[in-house]
Amino acid sequence: MALRGDIYRLFESVVGPENISDDPAVLRSYMYQPFGAKEGVWADISPAAVIMPSSTEEVVAIAKICNRYGIVFKAMSTGWGMHNLPGVEGAVSLDLRRMNRILEIDEKNMYAVVEPHVICMQLQVEAMKKGLNCHIIGAGSNTSVLASATSVVGYGPDGLSMGFSGRNLLGVEWVLPTGDVLKLGSLGADSGWFCGDGPGPSLRGIMRGWEGAWGGLGVFTKGAVKLFHWNGPTELEMKRTPPNYVLKEPLRFFKVSLFSFSTIEKLAEAALKLGEAEIGYFISRLSPSFVGLQLASGANYVATWNTGMLQQMLKYAFLFVIFANSEREFEYQQKLLAQILEETDGQTSPISETKEMQEQTSTAVIKVDAVVRSCFRTTGGFNTSFGSMDTVDLAMNQIKAGTELKDKYINKGVIMDDGGDNSATLAFDQGHLAYTEMLIMYDHHDRDSAEGACQYLAESNQACLDKKLGPPIFQISQIGKGKHGAFGPACFNYDSWLRKIKGEFDPNNTSDPTAYASPE
Amino acid sequence: MILELKDYVGDMKRCARCSLCKWPPLAQMKSWRFSNNCPSIARYNFHSYSGGGRMALGLALAEGRLDEITDELLNIVYRCTACGACDSSCKYNAELEVLWPIYSTRAHLVGMGYLLPEHSMIIESLRKEDNTMMQPKADRGKWAEGLDVKDLSKGEKAEVVYHAGCLYCYDPELSAIARDTVTLLKEAGVDVGIRGSQETCCGSIAFQLGFQGEFIKFAESNIDDWNAAGVTEVITSCACGFGIMKSVYPLLGKEMKFKVLHITQYLDELIKQGKLKLSRSLSMRVTYHDPCNLGRKSETYVPWKGEEKKVLGQFILREPEKIVHRGWNGIYEPPRNIIRSVPGIHLVEMERIMEYSWCCGAGSGVKQTMNDLALWTASERIEEAKSVGSEAIITACPWCERNFKDAITEAGDNLMVYDIVELVRQAL
Repeated sequence: MALRGDIYRLFESVVGPENISDDPAVLRSYMYQPFGAKEGVWADISPAAVIMPSSTEEVVAIAKICNRYGIVFKAMSTGWGMHNLPGVEGAVSLDLRRMNRILEIDEKNMYAVVEPHVICMQLQVEAMKKGLNCHIIGAGSNTSVLASATSVVGYGPDGLSMGFSGRNLLGVEWVLPTGDVLKLGSLGADSGWFCGDGPGPSLRGIMRGWEGAWGGLGVFTKGAVKLFHWNGPTELEMKRTPPNYVLKEPLRFFKVSLFSFSTIEKLAEAALKLGEAEIGYFISRLSPSFVGLQLASGANYVATWNTGMLQQMLKYAFLFVIFANSEREFEYQQKLLAQILEETDGQTSPISETKEMQEQTSTAVIKVDAVVRSCFRTTGGFNTSFGSMDTVDLAMNQIKAGTELKDKYINKGVIMDDGGDNSATLAFDQGHLAYTEMLIMYDHHDRDSAEGACQYLAESNQACLDKKLGPPIFQISQIGKGKHGAFGPACFNYDSWLRKIKGEFDPNNTSDPTAYASPE
Repeated sequence: MILELKDYVGDMKRCARCSLCKWPPLAQMKSWRFSNNCPSIARYNFHSYSGGGRMALGLALAEGRLDEITDELLNIVYRCTACGACDSSCKYNAELEVLWPIYSTRAHLVGMGYLLPEHSMIIESLRKEDNTMMQPKADRGKWAEGLDVKDLSKGEKAEVVYHAGCLYCYDPELSAIARDTVTLLKEAGVDVGIRGSQETCCGSIAFQLGFQGEFIKFAESNIDDWNAAGVTEVITSCACGFGIMKSVYPLLGKEMKFKVLHITQYLDELIKQGKLKLSRSLSMRVTYHDPCNLGRKSETYVPWKGEEKKVLGQFILREPEKIVHRGWNGIYEPPRNIIRSVPGIHLVEMERIMEYSWCCGAGSGVKQTMNDLALWTASERIEEAKSVGSEAIITACPWCERNFKDAITEAGDNLMVYDIVELVRQAL
């Protein structure tokens, strides 16, 4: 649905002619996303225009025009995933790419203030220069810092030591769906960015709650995030080692290990004990398939997989990384780890000590730069399931349910045979919370595969309800428009709260509700 | 034909839309300021202007999903220096072809009759005058007037032919470098000749703009001429010429009885053999700019032909296994070796180097047809050179040098620009 000429010109007057387009070629490129659980890669609905504001003031002006003329808007930062696209006809996309500045790194108070299009890697390299580091979500360092902090989930395996994006968020500048600007936390009391919860209003729960509003509650234009101590060099030098770049020199007091366990219960026990011990930098389930794909070309991977070696070595495994501040602390953490492994019958996987594994994994753990390699390279299509954040035990139940369900679809041949258990991630916040996703790879250009993936995702959602495994992370917004309604009754009718929030903050329903909720 | 959009549908379909094409390989990112790798997306910002955006449009074209070819589509397709940075960054993780689908999209549009008028002028100049500079063919050999060098087009014989390339032949400021190059080679005892007014364009711009018929004509003609001249080596100091001769000429299937070398490779060897002695000290802090066509784009391209098989359910296995061109095997060390051989000189590296080097902005006809994009891109590189405290930027391509000089003049800057041959001449 085309935008009326006079309205287009109003937007144009805000951002300038070079920063708005309704050209079919531009719009078509924005409709491409490989996550679709249906055949093909194109979203059904085209934005009416793409607008690129460069400041809060421009976002405000755009939101006000939208409210005046009943135009729905949807903002995106890096734009990876179907949830970035408008779900209604006639909506405009706000591509926040021009809002890409790191506004401040406060070394003393250990936080950074960023705009929406700053990616994790940009922040990390600047933070490291000051002896600091930032949490990077599991999707990779090519994603927006602000988006995961304000709007979309925010878990990553370094969360063991660096928390969860939603918790790491401090002061926020928020352009509400109406175009009004709300400043949260200390920023709201004109006291700087240092705190998310006061002095000044704390609306963290309303603003994002557990998983964020996925762009359904306006636009977050600036935000401060916590930074953490970095004990490595201020710049990490790399060398080429096919297929990736790896650290030129190993880091001091840094140790990557892959452990395997005889049962999933033992694995869970070890994860819990490690959390209680409050040691470690990074922890994640790593499936045999995920590890194999990190290290090998396609043909080599298939050949290795067919020997069964990977599956045998890494059946119930996780990757654990120690990164200590001193020799003494390093030894302490290693001793504790050894004790926990002894108590849980954990074994160091033979693959763990190989040069390839050490080099590539060390880099991937810090930089989180190789996710695409394991998730998209094999089939082109990727999606994920389960993922409610709760306890380690619940995460294990999600893995069991997901593996059982996936086996059915693997046996049908419609999704990639990755051994079934291709769960990623584990505990965060020093083990106080846990989380896992069950990954699937499929060919989104193959009708049977795409439909199979779609059925799996629907069934996995149902399993979350039937087995009381918590709301799934992605499916609510990705394919299951309105899935909040399905999970609400099972979870204290939270969906009615979302609708009330939406009604209060967005009376004209201007901020695209598709991935969030419509007013009651 | 070499460029067929349908050959890349598999790659385009598997674009993850992850935006890795917009950044240097993430592990190689060193600062926020210089964290872009693609001039096009950095300048125009719409996702469409990235490697991934162009893949999406290429796929839409191949699948007949675009109802009309708009001017903006042509802008998206051509406001790109085809520097290949997107390609190198993608292959670090996803191993997809990105650059060749861009070339192929251009060829597809040319095949449909959609051309930019400015590009038509370049191609007309090629057809009529054998050069892309819209200059008379008869003047091509003027740069070498007065040089005591063999002219192979007149039947003289030499072991080595020096191919100057269009820009060195016709740019009066730069043609001195071509003269210096020949002089250097002669001083080192190399049996070198040129083809004077009979030298023709390498076809690089025609190829990159999607005019593959024109490209093939010029490439085949050059191969035939060099074979007929009986030379064992073709040396060029134009990185664009070198890149196309190394990476694409072999795909034509014609026997090439000669080796293609860039002047930096040749000079590096001559210095190592002691045939050129750099004794004069040049006290200067310099940085080196890797030309895209000498670096990541100079690997001989091997298009994947084979069968995609589904194994392990939906795992798409390519048989035979695809050769992944990461740009890691470009010519990176010879120019650096030469610079380090100059007494007194201090070489400092910029943040974006080698296979993730930032483009100078001149490539793929952009300098001739979209000079604003070319100059903006160059200005970004100049800022990067200055950020490491460099007094001069050294390069090994006339297009890079021309564009840097123009950008510096426009900005009123004082950074010096040298071709590596100029540096060697000064140090002798």
